[in-house]
Amino acid sequence: MMVPLMLDGFGIKSFAKGSTLVQSLRQTAALNSDRVLVMIYLAGGNDGLNTVIPLEHYSKYYDLRSNIAIPETSVLKLAGAPETGFHPVMTGMRSLYDEGKLAVINSVSYPNPDQSHYRSTDIWMTGVDSNQYATSGWAGRYLNDRYAGYPVNYPNSEMEDPLAIQIGQISTTALLGNSQGMGVTIQDPNAFYQLIGEGTARVDTSLPCCDAGDLLAYIREKQVLAVGYAAEIKAAADAGTNLAAYPDASMNNELADRLKIVARLIHGGLKSKIYYVELGGFDTHSGQVGSTSVEGTHAELLKKLSDGIAAFQNDLKLQGIEDKVLGMTFSDFGRRATSNASKGTDHGIGAPMFVFGTGIKRQMIGTNPDLVNGLLPELPTVGVSNRDIKMQIDFRRVYGDVLNDWFGTANSKTDQILFKDFKTTSLFSDVVQSISSGSWANPEIWSNGRVPTALTQIKINSGHIVEVGQNITAKELKIDAGGKLKFLGDYGVKIAG
Amino acid sequence: MAFLDTYNTPLNASAAAHLLRRATFGPTRAEIESFTGKTAIQAVDILISNVSYRASPPPPVEMNASRSDAGLPFLNNPLTANPVLNYDYSNYIKFWWIGLMAEQNGRPSVLEKLTAFWQNHFVVIYSAVQDYRFIDRYLRLLRSNALGNFRELATAVSKDPAMLIFQNGNESTKEHPNENYARELQEIFTVGQKDFYGNHNYTEQDVKAAAQVLTGWQAKNLRKAGTTQIETVFTPDRHDSSDKTFSSKYSNAVVTGRSGSMAGDEELADLIAMLLGHPECPKFICRKLYRWYVNPNVTQEIEDGVIVPLASFFASASNNFEIGPVIKKLLSSNVFFDTSNVGAIIKSPAELMIGTVRFFDVPVPDLTTQYVYFEKLTRFLNDSMKLLQLELLDQPTVFGSPAYFQTGYSKNWINETTIGIRGKRTDTLVASNVEVKAGELMGVDIFGRLKKIQPNFSDVAGTPAITCEQVLDEFLRNLFAVDISQSQKDFLIDSIMMMNSSPRSTWMKEWDYYRSAPNDTSKQAAIIWRCRALLRFMLRMAEYQIF
Repeated sequence: MMVPLMLDGFGIKSFAKGSTLVQSLRQTAALNSDRVLVMIYLAGGNDGLNTVIPLEHYSKYYDLRSNIAIPETSVLKLAGAPETGFHPVMTGMRSLYDEGKLAVINSVSYPNPDQSHYRSTDIWMTGVDSNQYATSGWAGRYLNDRYAGYPVNYPNSEMEDPLAIQIGQISTTALLGNSQGMGVTIQDPNAFYQLIGEGTARVDTSLPCCDAGDLLAYIREKQVLAVGYAAEIKAAADAGTNLAAYPDASMNNELADRLKIVARLIHGGLKSKIYYVELGGFDTHSGQVGSTSVEGTHAELLKKLSDGIAAFQNDLKLQGIEDKVLGMTFSDFGRRATSNASKGTDHGIGAPMFVFGTGIKRQMIGTNPDLVNGLLPELPTVGVSNRDIKMQIDFRRVYGDVLNDWFGTANSKTDQILFKDFKTTSLFSDVVQSISSGSWANPEIWSNGRVPTALTQIKINSGHIVEVGQNITAKELKIDAGGKLKFLGDYGVKIAG
Repeated sequence: MAFLDTYNTPLNASAAAHLLRRATFGPTRAEIESFTGKTAIQAVDILISNVSYRASPPPPVEMNASRSDAGLPFLNNPLTANPVLNYDYSNYIKFWWIGLMAEQNGRPSVLEKLTAFWQNHFVVIYSAVQDYRFIDRYLRLLRSNALGNFRELATAVSKDPAMLIFQNGNESTKEHPNENYARELQEIFTVGQKDFYGNHNYTEQDVKAAAQVLTGWQAKNLRKAGTTQIETVFTPDRHDSSDKTFSSKYSNAVVTGRSGSMAGDEELADLIAMLLGHPECPKFICRKLYRWYVNPNVTQEIEDGVIVPLASFFASASNNFEIGPVIKKLLSSNVFFDTSNVGAIIKSPAELMIGTVRFFDVPVPDLTTQYVYFEKLTRFLNDSMKLLQLELLDQPTVFGSPAYFQTGYSKNWINETTIGIRGKRTDTLVASNVEVKAGELMGVDIFGRLKKIQPNFSDVAGTPAITCEQVLDEFLRNLFAVDISQSQKDFLIDSIMMMNSSPRSTWMKEWDYYRSAPNDTSKQAAIIWRCRALLRFMLRMAEYQIF
């Protein structure tokens, strides 16, 4: 290991990697930068409406999808959110919600949504507008910025571990950097080590022209990185321990198996910033439910998701590293509000994302989809029975919050990574901000997509005029210079404090 | 020299190897030799006319020797109620196909590679159907139409019973049209989602309208034990007989609603005609063929100089969507043989594994008489491909394998893990415990190969031994699509073959010891040890991963 850093004239490289001095230096350097993101991709397009059920519109919900509707009495209730519930198999995630460790971001999508699996997934992975294209992933661009020059001279003393790890098979677009993948894809640390060993791949620098040369360089780079990282990953897997019970092998919960590896690697001290795992099978055009609506394909998938996340979070807690890990789910798109005749759902638009961990500051972004007045098309023509769930939150606002508030990226950098400035959702903030002018009672003008209550700390941003047509109460209200509350009548503000 | 004009230079060994690597799953050395010196047109004509030799191969058989009907065909049996048997049969169909890809009968043809293209295009997966008869029928449809007419193929696929199950056409009725197939038919089977410049080729309304056209078709006898036939039926009552109006993307075409027993076929014909009439449809198919056969990287220059003219030829009145002439034109073109396109694709797991079997003449046992060994070899190949993320007849999505559509294209085959597995699996092909004949293990015949280049083998005193350099050249001949440098060759000899420990002259001594006592196993062992180390390393090199 080459360490260029000099300390009192002594080359630190003369110390063993495990020495106390080196360890303490590494830990100091790691402060504030040891946060980890775990991305969980639900492949196929998850049916949001049978995942997070808008109890306040239950009868309309039932009308839209009577052949697959979850019975009202079976829906799991959430602490402090009686208007919303979870699918009955999601007991683990319900507990996390009740403990304040899980957030629901409602009706997430993007403008002009695309209903092709491939294209829509690509949009989520690359983080672009639906009429733009990028060859790099949003998380890959973040890592590319944070670790400039990768993979040249990596691994090195400042980052001896992979920047990101995907537990799976085919490498994800989300982790593609500007010129190559920023992550290492493995199925299992020990198998990976056995596969790669500490072999001596020879690097030849001569390359033929054209695409063949480009491909050879790419493959050789992967060979070198694989060797460079295999031992580090194995060491972390050996040092880490799973302390919680995970679903046993008979459950065939591949997501839990993968998250278990992730927890072990993080606990074992691997410095990778992003982990990526997948659970497939969500493209439920038919047979989404079984003989009853609380069983069948979708119930099995949600059970895997919920059991996996709950075991993982519990493991992190027992390992004492709960505070440094944040988890996030996403999917291709939501599914249609209206079910089809095959006990399934076709491709749709908005659907919930889940964000979990102790780092979140609020648990409900946006509101239940308004199934009564808020479906698309807004004015269905005669004969159109299919209705979709309208977007409330652009997914890039969540990415932006993760980059800014979780990873501590400078706002201007985040804007570059996401190609523009997206408004916060206040997911990691105690303060709700105005994001545009408009009526106080309009949830869309507030960063968290909800009308403020007496418990909300509010900031009116510069340039925003918020019109008040009622008496209002807030916990705290701050008005930036250039921001304004405009009273439409004889109304008052009460600060609950 | 226009891209699509015929390549007129007689094929040298490299060009012949390039053609065979791309048009088949990889050449044997005998095939390379027999194609060397031919013109591109002659060579491609042979590859196309050889299709007839395997147009109707013997059907798959029960390969489990412990079953009473071992060695006998099973496709005409009534459907078994035993799920294990059903699953095994589906594997045998896959193995049967892999056997056809791998066999070396001296008649290389475009058939299996092109069928694999269509199987990755009009994707149906066993996991969704779970009735081997449906998969068999679907595969035969693709295989027998691979070089046929695209209009007929797209029409037949649209009412193929396996596709009806996989893409939910089976449940699509006038009251509840299912949009799944209607979307995929446009997005990935015919016109493509977007054109080269990113403009949408159809609208959501077109998906809904096509779904209405396609109502009423159903597949019969799926997973119904005891049945002997599967078929597609059209039920007029389930069909939406209203007029279906499409968007301006299709020039506001209307598919006139029909009723009666022929309504489904008539409207399907109109729909397919409309889809094929879309100017982007032939381009979409030709672009995909180009990416499959030539280079995944389609630049503006290639779009203008190859895709557009090839598409207009494909859709021309004289050609009328015949596939064969398009394949012939592409595979015999200047652009195909351009050196910038040699080595421009990373081998899929099939090209890697099956290509290695073919290149080293690993014999494929006869399906009917040697079914036990046939099963061992083809199962090994299938398992390897699966580990390396290629599942024939069972792709992860309806789009096919990600390496054929995802950003980066063939680079998607390679990550830190698959690099390791590729190496492990090619190691096994160099030497293994897999029996391919009674008492014969799968592996590279090192002695057979080297004896051919040693003049006067037995005359140890009078004829000098072949050198390390000659051995390396023999193993390198046509192995890689690109040349390697002298420093790489030196490294292979000194560091791998001589293991950084012995001078090159040691090899000649060891070889002569062996020549003097060819049946002495300890003398054989020294040769095997060095040559296998060399071969394993070469097959792990980045150069072996591209073609």
